[in-house]
Amino acid sequence: MYRGREGQWAFYLHRITGVAILLYLLVHVGELTAAMFGSKYSNAILHFFHQPLFQLGLLTVIGAVLYHALNGLRILIMDFTSWGTRLQNKLWYGVLILFALLYVPTVIKILPEIFGGGGH
Amino acid sequence: MAIKTRNFNVARQQASTNIELIWWVFMRVSGVLLVFLVLGHIYMNNILISNTSIDFDYVASRFSQPLYKVYDLVMLVLAMLHGTNGLRYIIDDYVHHDGWRNIVKYALYFVVAVLITTGTMLLFSFPFNKVGG
Repeated sequence: MYRGREGQWAFYLHRITGVAILLYLLVHVGELTAAMFGSKYSNAILHFFHQPLFQLGLLTVIGAVLYHALNGLRILIMDFTSWGTRLQNKLWYGVLILFALLYVPTVIKILPEIFGGGGH
Repeated sequence: MAIKTRNFNVARQQASTNIELIWWVFMRVSGVLLVFLVLGHIYMNNILISNTSIDFDYVASRFSQPLYKVYDLVMLVLAMLHGTNGLRYIIDDYVHHDGWRNIVKYALYFVVAVLITTGTMLLFSFPFNKVGG
């Protein structure tokens, strides 16, 4: 069931996306902390992170959150139902399909904003 | 040692300590809550508006509303603890040297403790009644 097959890919992707989300979270909270010191510093930092490179990174993190959330629900199904572990590989394909259904429209919405200038 | 299993009864047998079992349960409970909190957060700040339009006035008006103070505080604490415990499992798996493993873990705990503190201070450094920009 496990080595080199769906379960292992699901597991590694869960770990990699988890670490990426935590690293983003640390920067995200640190970045917003500037708001304690007033609009001047806050706007400078927010504006800095509006550069396309960081916005593309954010779009990637959104994808990571989406996968981690959906696969997390798959883990819960495996933990708390009698049939989840037996169907874990099918559930993973379900995760990937749901991910695509939710992430593709998200990319279509956000990508033009990154290069179209958005709010600035 | 992290629990690697598929249900609560086996987790209870595998748990090295009660604390480890509590973390196993915490990851699942916080995980379900974070699905809604974080996806809601992303929807509000990336889909309903353009992320590149976010400025200090927007941040200040959100943090000034009691509902968002509660929402963001719960999300901050749950996400930090969920992420830190997840990374602790990974550190246990990959850092084999006892000394380094502890150094890496306590460095992580320190950074997270600082950010939970400053994040909470940030939320409560704004007034409770400000509405609009």
